[in-house]
Amino acid sequence: MEKYFSLFQVTEEAISGLLQSALSRGGDYADIFFESTTSDELTLRDGEVNAVESTADYGVGIRVLKEGHTGYAYAESTLPAEMEQAARTAAGIADTPGLRLTPAPLKRLSAPNRYPILGDWSDFDLLRRKAFLQHFGERLSALSGDITKVIANLAYDHSDILFANSLGDLYCDERPITSLVAHCILERDGRSENIAVSRSFRRGSEMLTESLLDEMVAEVAAHIPYLFEARRPKGGQMPVVMAAGSSGILLHEAIGHAFEADFNRKGISIFSDKMGKHICSPQISVVDDATLPANRGAVNIDDEGVPGQKTYMVREGVLTSYLHDRISAAHYGVAPTGNGRRESFRFNPIPRMRCTYMENGSGSQEEIIHSVRRGIFVDAFTNGQVEIGAGDFTFYVKSGFLIENGRLTQPIKDINIIGNGPEALADIVAVAADSRVDDGTWTCGKDQYCPVSCGMPSVLVKSLIVGGDV
Amino acid sequence: MIQFDHSIVETALQMAREEGATQARIALERSIENSATVLDNQLDKMLSSSGSTLFIQLYIDGCYGSFSTNRLDPDALRDFIRNAAASTRLMTRDECRRLPDPALCYHGPAVDLQQYDPAVESLTPELRRERAMTASAEIFGRHPRLLSVETEWGDTVDYSYTADSQGFHGETLQTTHTINATVSIRGRGDEKPESWWYESGVRLDEAPCEGCGRRALQRALDQLNPRRLRSGSYNIVIDNMCSSKVVAPIIRAISGGSLQQRNSFLLDALGKPCFSERLTLVDDPFLPGLPGSRLFDNDGIATARREIISRGVLNNYFISDYYAAKMGVPVTIDGPSVLRFVRSGESPEKVLNLAALLQEVGKGILITDFNGGNCNSGTGDFSYGIRGFLFENGVVTHPVREMNITGNMIDLWRHLIAVGDDPRNSSRWTIPSLAFEGVNFSGI
Repeated sequence: MEKYFSLFQVTEEAISGLLQSALSRGGDYADIFFESTTSDELTLRDGEVNAVESTADYGVGIRVLKEGHTGYAYAESTLPAEMEQAARTAAGIADTPGLRLTPAPLKRLSAPNRYPILGDWSDFDLLRRKAFLQHFGERLSALSGDITKVIANLAYDHSDILFANSLGDLYCDERPITSLVAHCILERDGRSENIAVSRSFRRGSEMLTESLLDEMVAEVAAHIPYLFEARRPKGGQMPVVMAAGSSGILLHEAIGHAFEADFNRKGISIFSDKMGKHICSPQISVVDDATLPANRGAVNIDDEGVPGQKTYMVREGVLTSYLHDRISAAHYGVAPTGNGRRESFRFNPIPRMRCTYMENGSGSQEEIIHSVRRGIFVDAFTNGQVEIGAGDFTFYVKSGFLIENGRLTQPIKDINIIGNGPEALADIVAVAADSRVDDGTWTCGKDQYCPVSCGMPSVLVKSLIVGGDV
Repeated sequence: MIQFDHSIVETALQMAREEGATQARIALERSIENSATVLDNQLDKMLSSSGSTLFIQLYIDGCYGSFSTNRLDPDALRDFIRNAAASTRLMTRDECRRLPDPALCYHGPAVDLQQYDPAVESLTPELRRERAMTASAEIFGRHPRLLSVETEWGDTVDYSYTADSQGFHGETLQTTHTINATVSIRGRGDEKPESWWYESGVRLDEAPCEGCGRRALQRALDQLNPRRLRSGSYNIVIDNMCSSKVVAPIIRAISGGSLQQRNSFLLDALGKPCFSERLTLVDDPFLPGLPGSRLFDNDGIATARREIISRGVLNNYFISDYYAAKMGVPVTIDGPSVLRFVRSGESPEKVLNLAALLQEVGKGILITDFNGGNCNSGTGDFSYGIRGFLFENGVVTHPVREMNITGNMIDLWRHLIAVGDDPRNSSRWTIPSLAFEGVNFSGI
């Protein structure tokens, strides 16, 4: 903790004084979020690591709540006068200076560390990182004569966080994220296609191993044989088998956002009136989990002082919890679930997902595919979106196969799938016992960018609308 | 108010030289942002921020690095640049990384592109709250289906000063004023249709609050009781709120990064008739008062008016200095400034607003928003979710839902049948409503 006071050039007394200023206009809660983030990124292009990018970002955000309403300001320095000005600006959300609360004495929070940095970057310096990236590019290029270009990035972010609030919570947190991404461009007979692969963890340099490269190279290799054979299928309404892992995008888009309680607090989510009700098959349980070690969505303590935790959103088919920050939790009269997250000190926290996944059902992917007479199987995705109120969601499928008479046949690609959240959830009629979390660079863009992850067992959705030829 | 400041840039440039940079470019970006959000006629959020970031590009004996920091005190900055220089030296040499030919850079004359409205200085927290409240109050409590109204006023001032070691200096100052409204209403069953409207511009008077809430409410009400349609081939009209979605893949495909990496469906297409003759697309950086107008790009290269596509023929790529050197072709510019359509094959007097376009097309689907989807940058194959309306005899009949359009970008643009005259000037790409024929829809 002392390291953080030194980094931000503050004391406990100074923080208490700022919280007092923040509450000076009658606010009923205040918090202060110090952040120092450094980012380094190396890029491999045309066979050479010829660009480095580094960022240093430092500042403090101060929030005041008054009956659920928010005042927020930030400063890019921790000079006392600038922080005091930010505190007084945020205080302006309230206008009852006679009702001044006194912040509680600060006490240090502790939580399990879900992302200890085992490999120090000083032991894996820029030259080693450059060689690692170069080696990765060479392994990918060697996969096929069709690969004409490889762009690869190795990025490392490190955030030091110091947080305090008027309830007396005080904590510090060290948050790493290391990401490795590659895009391969392939050409054959005048046609061009591309494949992307990524891994991202809250880890340090220990993530950069040959076995990680084995896994990523194998993933690209598995898709190459089908890339130029893949066609767009005939579009329309049909059964969709979603492969284990990255199919968790279905949960993120179809129900995850609609469970974020800021939408429900406003009454605008299609799930706003469904608490405690059966919304899908009893074989389905969905969790949003901050506790997975080194996961991209892992959280020790969230950005408003609530311990990270595992939250059952759906348990055996029943809606059991929304995803709350302090504002929505107070609105519903429940405890916050540790979902208050923010992109940086420049943003106020809002309810965000962490790692959202479905727990295991029974049976196997093969049995599910075998049960479908005509439909599609999908296993790689790029992006998704949802309309919270209408419930209509989409996700873009990069690869998959037609299913004909229970067998995978023609490779398919480049189709958008659209469905309605509650209907799609209720239409999940088979869940396999192969749930796994996908460790790609999932980033959610709800107002602010936030690292998340998702997972899924193989499932059968009996009806979705698949884009395609007519 | 924003403080104009050249000294930190000059200091950083000197530090870069002292650390051994052969060449360097430094840019200071400062911004002030303020907003007020009203939820259901109550002030919900007040945000206030100001920040400064220094962007540093170092070129050291053929090695390149790009850096940014908001820690601007001299000691911290010197340490940062020293470390940046050390990192840069470790990169593999790339002789294409260098500052551009000074002859291509902007050297004046100073032209006022009217990017700054001093009226922003008159705004106070109370006025911002009033403006958001005005947009809310005109609908809150005034319709039985209304579930939620959220309105937000926002204003920003952005300042930048860029200098490089070859003597280029450039400065910009811009304002943006925006009012937006998001409305949710009670629909069929559990459905809660949502819609939005916004007004935005460089000038304060380009973001009128009156009418913003009403437009959002009407757009939400228009979506009541949507139907799913059968799959088939339909003519489509894309309105001016979302038509840029089908322009973006073309711009990405003709940018230097995509071309150099051969990840473009418009490789080797210069001079070829790729699209409908009705498509003439101009990049015009000198339109006063439009966001996006600029005198120089991020490399300092002077902008120019360019006809990107003329009657369907691709005339220009967007090639920055680096990618021009990589590909051995002339530099153009790093990307579009203000994109606008020029109607061709139509009498300039002919009115072609959205209603007229629907009349002209007769029957089809009006797309008012996209819901996800993507476009394969290498092939141009696309598939997008849409929201919109069926129209017949030029008149909207009912909303549609859960439908995808699917096709190929080049093929789509070959089937452009009409270009509207209704672009909104609130964004950098002023794209009007557009009509295409024979687009594949997937529904039930």
